[in-house]
Amino acid sequence: MMNKLILGRYIPGDSFVHKMDSRAKLVASFYFIGIIFMANNWQTYLLIAAFTLFAVLLSKVDLKFFIRGVRPLIWLILFTVALQIFFTRGGTVYWEWGVLSVTEFGLTNGIFIFCRFVLIIFMSTLLTLTTPPLELSDAIEYLLRPLKVVHFPVHEVSLMLSIALRFVPTLMDETEKIMNAQRARGVDFGEGNLVQKMKAVVPLLIPLFVSSFNRAEELATAMEARGYQGGEGRTKYRVLHWHNRDTLAIIGFILLTVGLVFLRS
Amino acid sequence: MDIRFEKVDFTYQPNTPFEQRALFDINLTIKEGSYTALVGHTGSGKSTLLQHLNALVKPTSGMVEIGDRKIVPETDNKNLKPIRKKVGIVFQFPEAQLFEETVAKDIAFGPKNFGVSEEESRKLAEKMLQQVGLDESYLERSPFELSGGQMRRVAIAGVLAMEPEILVLDEPTAGLDPQGRKEMMEMFLELHEKAGITIVLVTHLMDDVANYADYVYVLEKGQVVKGGAPKEIFQELNWLKEKQLGVPTATEFAERLVAKGVSFGTLPLTADELADKLVSLSGGSAHDE
Repeated sequence: MMNKLILGRYIPGDSFVHKMDSRAKLVASFYFIGIIFMANNWQTYLLIAAFTLFAVLLSKVDLKFFIRGVRPLIWLILFTVALQIFFTRGGTVYWEWGVLSVTEFGLTNGIFIFCRFVLIIFMSTLLTLTTPPLELSDAIEYLLRPLKVVHFPVHEVSLMLSIALRFVPTLMDETEKIMNAQRARGVDFGEGNLVQKMKAVVPLLIPLFVSSFNRAEELATAMEARGYQGGEGRTKYRVLHWHNRDTLAIIGFILLTVGLVFLRS
Repeated sequence: MDIRFEKVDFTYQPNTPFEQRALFDINLTIKEGSYTALVGHTGSGKSTLLQHLNALVKPTSGMVEIGDRKIVPETDNKNLKPIRKKVGIVFQFPEAQLFEETVAKDIAFGPKNFGVSEEESRKLAEKMLQQVGLDESYLERSPFELSGGQMRRVAIAGVLAMEPEILVLDEPTAGLDPQGRKEMMEMFLELHEKAGITIVLVTHLMDDVANYADYVYVLEKGQVVKGGAPKEIFQELNWLKEKQLGVPTATEFAERLVAKGVSFGTLPLTADELADKLVSLSGGSAHDE
């Protein structure tokens, strides 16, 4: 059930993208989402799609994974695209019925929005498929560091983030186990009307909360026993390294931006 | 009610990049009234197989026959409740499944799901609590204020309250103290002998297999590599060690005596058997001297 989710999974490898610094990847992904809105004609979309495809090929991850990443969102995408197509006016009118109309502008807009969604999902899937979650949380900690000036608890937030990421699979396993145990006791999940469905969730949620509380307590005790006293004066085991390839990737993104600016209409 | 596996294959997340095969061509039968043990190294597919026993998962190919119901890949998920009522599963660390406000309500939860009346299920709860060795004073307490061992008992009572014909136990004594372990295993044996409940035990403890089971299946890498009475299985110590499985303590000890020149004929499995054989042997050897 939950196994169908691709987003947030990491696939080990040693490609160019895998070896990149997680900070570079994180910044680049956010930057990509920003500049994709600069594209506004065929040429720019072609350029940005080619760039994305190149990045995907560079990661040596099977294209199937990316397509699977799009799948859960396909209805949302199609809904948005349909809205664009039917409610945008302008240019040649192909079909009209009341407030609904299919026009030249509407069609192109619809296609552009579709490309935009798919490319953003591809890029964020690329980030999570090639970066271990812990490295991502390291990158976030590094990038949030400037916020210390305004007394933002950077260490605490990143600690929570890495613990949360670490326990996602564990909690998923636990959910599966409790679900099976309750099904064996005659609970039908996802059957009956809404009220019945909600009631069926109680025997799953309560044990899950209880076990989370217990786990938190045990983890806190174990951390204290190992001398954890907070963020002050800690050294780092995993140190992030910036390599030439990261600079190269950033240059790639700058060139892409320049290309977009030139091709924009 | 027998459970029969016929050429059962099972794959996790089929047709995805994360596809993983867990069971290969499983053929086995759990006979009515038997005490069957499933042993195997960690990751050998025991727990996956166990979920087939009451149709929590369906085979990817092949067929599981539970009583007169046939579960094939195409079986739809409705009307499986009658199976679940007949086959009760006590999962590993079952205390994690408790959720009601009181012990009584939690034990009665299973029966109520299967349509037993409020009053009746309350009576069942009282009876089952006694069965697992806790007194009535626990009925109105919250399950979360009990000790780990008591929680385990309540959880097991919750499964027993469904009055299953087949009881599946996935390492029921893991993490219990020796006294609790013994009490619990004796209780299951009593249920097996007196109430005639078929028991399927998944365990790593070969002593339990030797003491209680009358049939053993050995699993390795998702396949059944051997099946037979414990007496036969535990004769081949080297084969078992090769498969990284343990040997009953008594058998291990007997093996050492064999190395010192004692001959047993067949190796004993339990301490009692070992003692008997040693007594008869010492009688025999007195003649020689």
